[in-house]
Amino acid sequence: MILAKIAVWGLGSMVVGGAVLCSEGLVTVRVHQREPDGHNVFLVAPAMLMPLGMKFVPRDALRRDEREIRPYLPILRAAADELANCPDATLVEVIDRDEHVRVAKHWGAIVVDVDEPGQTVHVSVPIRAMQSALRELAANFPGD
Amino acid sequence: MRRAWLGVIVLLFAATAAMAATPERWIHVRVESGHDGGSVRVNVPLSFAEKILPTIDHGNLHHGRIRISGRDMDSADIRAILEAVKTAPEGDFVTVQSHDSDVRVAKAKGNLLVHVRDHANREGRVEIQIPMKVVEALLSSDTDELNLVAAIHALQEAGEDMIIVVKDGTDHVRVWIDTRSESE
Repeated sequence: MILAKIAVWGLGSMVVGGAVLCSEGLVTVRVHQREPDGHNVFLVAPAMLMPLGMKFVPRDALRRDEREIRPYLPILRAAADELANCPDATLVEVIDRDEHVRVAKHWGAIVVDVDEPGQTVHVSVPIRAMQSALRELAANFPGD
Repeated sequence: MRRAWLGVIVLLFAATAAMAATPERWIHVRVESGHDGGSVRVNVPLSFAEKILPTIDHGNLHHGRIRISGRDMDSADIRAILEAVKTAPEGDFVTVQSHDSDVRVAKAKGNLLVHVRDHANREGRVEIQIPMKVVEALLSSDTDELNLVAAIHALQEAGEDMIIVVKDGTDHVRVWIDTRSESE
């Protein structure tokens, strides 16, 4: 009986923990190299790790790059906020003779697809996570 | 009490109708290169541009306003020209026909039109059509800057038209506004 209670508690914690971790969506990275010995990378990570990771970036390192980052921060934050509100669409598409790049908003995430001769790359980052990460970054710079 | 509820319902309907009447407008840029068949398509909601521009503080662009400072022409000159165009009646302002090109600047149907046709390149042409409301919005700043944010806001209310067409032999650039999120 005690074992069953522990199992239910453990399972509940895992479900709640998983739900909290995935509350900001998932970051997906997929790289497929077409060469015979090419690599295939498929990575799915909770987007919440992005703002969480920002907390562990050494303050000194951020302060060092503050002058470069600070001017772009309001633009990036405004862009992320507006992207969150705008409907799903292809925002930028570049078609070259042998390359195809597409940046789109899809289901609350910014999706970048690159199709070039040697490989295809797919990256999807939830906008909510981008907003949180930028908020976290701004918190390191007093006045922003 | 019933009247109050009725009032709320009417207000809700009016708000919904107002929201439906002003759908999101998108600015589309399409560049097609005839050399390699490449193309670039950009689709951005006007509201996005309207919100982003005030946050940019770089070079001559500050808080959604731009100061043009060229050797031959600056913001004050452009403002003076646009003010003159704004108050002038509709018709052709400038028509220049030379060996190299034909240039026509006119005001017609509430739009400022600039047409340039290049003689050397049979396909070469530039066509710019800007609603006068946008021109007026550009001049809405008290200083001698051009108010880009106000111009974009004015574009929200403009018709669905091609704004800029540039054709240079094999390359083709188009900028237009409509309510579709994707270009055709």
